Amino acid sequence: MASFRLLPSAFCLLLAAVLLIVTAACTLASPGQPKWNDASVSRSRWGTDPVFTPARSSFGQAFREFLGRRPTDVAQPFPFSHQIHLSKGATCTDCHTGVEQGPRAGLPSINTCMICHSQIATDRPLIQQITRMQEEGRDLNWNRVYNYFPESHVRFEHAPHIRAKVECSTCHGAQIEQTVARRAVDMDMQFCVNCHKNNKPQASNDCLTCHY
Amino acid sequence: MPFRWGMAIDLNACTGCEACVTACHAENNIPTVSAEQASRGRAMHWIRVERYYEGNFPDVRVKFRPVLCQQCDNAPCEAVCPTYAAHHNEDGLNAQVYNRCIGTRYCANACPYNVRFFNFFNAEWPKPLHLQLNPDVSVREVGVMEKCTFCVQRIKAAKTAARAEHRALVDGALQPACAQACPTSAIVFGDLNDPDSRVARLARSPRGTRLLEDLGAEPKITYLQKQPWHEPDAY
Repeated sequence: MASFRLLPSAFCLLLAAVLLIVTAACTLASPGQPKWNDASVSRSRWGTDPVFTPARSSFGQAFREFLGRRPTDVAQPFPFSHQIHLSKGATCTDCHTGVEQGPRAGLPSINTCMICHSQIATDRPLIQQITRMQEEGRDLNWNRVYNYFPESHVRFEHAPHIRAKVECSTCHGAQIEQTVARRAVDMDMQFCVNCHKNNKPQASNDCLTCHY
Repeated sequence: MPFRWGMAIDLNACTGCEACVTACHAENNIPTVSAEQASRGRAMHWIRVERYYEGNFPDVRVKFRPVLCQQCDNAPCEAVCPTYAAHHNEDGLNAQVYNRCIGTRYCANACPYNVRFFNFFNAEWPKPLHLQLNPDVSVREVGVMEKCTFCVQRIKAAKTAARAEHRALVDGALQPACAQACPTSAIVFGDLNDPDSRVARLARSPRGTRLLEDLGAEPKITYLQKQPWHEPDAY
């Protein structure tokens, strides 16, 4: 009984030790590695951190990755509405042009928007905004909706799935009900593997199919 | 029929220029380590050019041998991995799955060719140099093993492109970075299951040997060179 009562405190100690080690591993620099944080590179146009590293930026980040927590709603630079466009007869492949050929479906640039919008709905303020952006040579910096953690080491190719007649909505949800794209389906490994297993003909379940 | 990717390296053509090493680093996001860490054996080169010296100065001959993962059919690294991170896939590739790897380093110790590398550090690229990283290849984090993949990202891309255009993969259309960079075309890559492919013909060549063949690992890389029994005076 005495040992049983000891257990919670022992567990707390163990947890504290593990937390300490994990924090140290996340925050401490690698010994003997070249350091790039001298004055010449400390100010970077590509973010605040002068170096790119696969290390997690903070303990909180490591914790979120461990639990697989990703933000559901990703802020986008422009309030594009999938609902309006799909209800007016546009199809996915009109803008996401790479989906049938290669791995990436492609996020459209303003030039793609202006194929139609140089003629259509030119009186709307949002359309005038992107027209101005195109004239200034700027483009929309779309954010990724299904942003996996780098440690997932996971890759996806659109074209083989489109050829296998997988509907876009299987993974992306009903876009006709969405304005800005949201994470409608929780795509974890189970989601992928179930389909790969149950489909006829069976798709490859080799690790190297997705993880490389 | 599934593919069986293999390679042939002509040692008589190799000049030891190390273009393959550079190309491999650029293609596969391989980090560099400091001189101090390199002296402790923590440098990572998925392909290296070994040098062998024959004779005494000034009559010295240097022989070069590029060594990369031999993609063994009977791979010693796979048998020892407790998490199946090192495994064989249907294309005969000796795959390394970073997600599964827990960093026991058993595979590196089992490998007779010394071509598996452990990430002792989280690599760092000073910005904006990170923009040169290949987006088709993972950036490995601390604590995982890595090794030559035969540029699996290129194999995947070539297969996808071929299937999209409803054609078969032709021999020679697909090259890993080292073969592409080789100025003397000493490195030939292809499908060993296709008896007419260039690499399959070279693998059958009487000039061919395999590295540490007596260990029984059945490597898929053939080294071609003039053999002593062809011309005894040459050696």
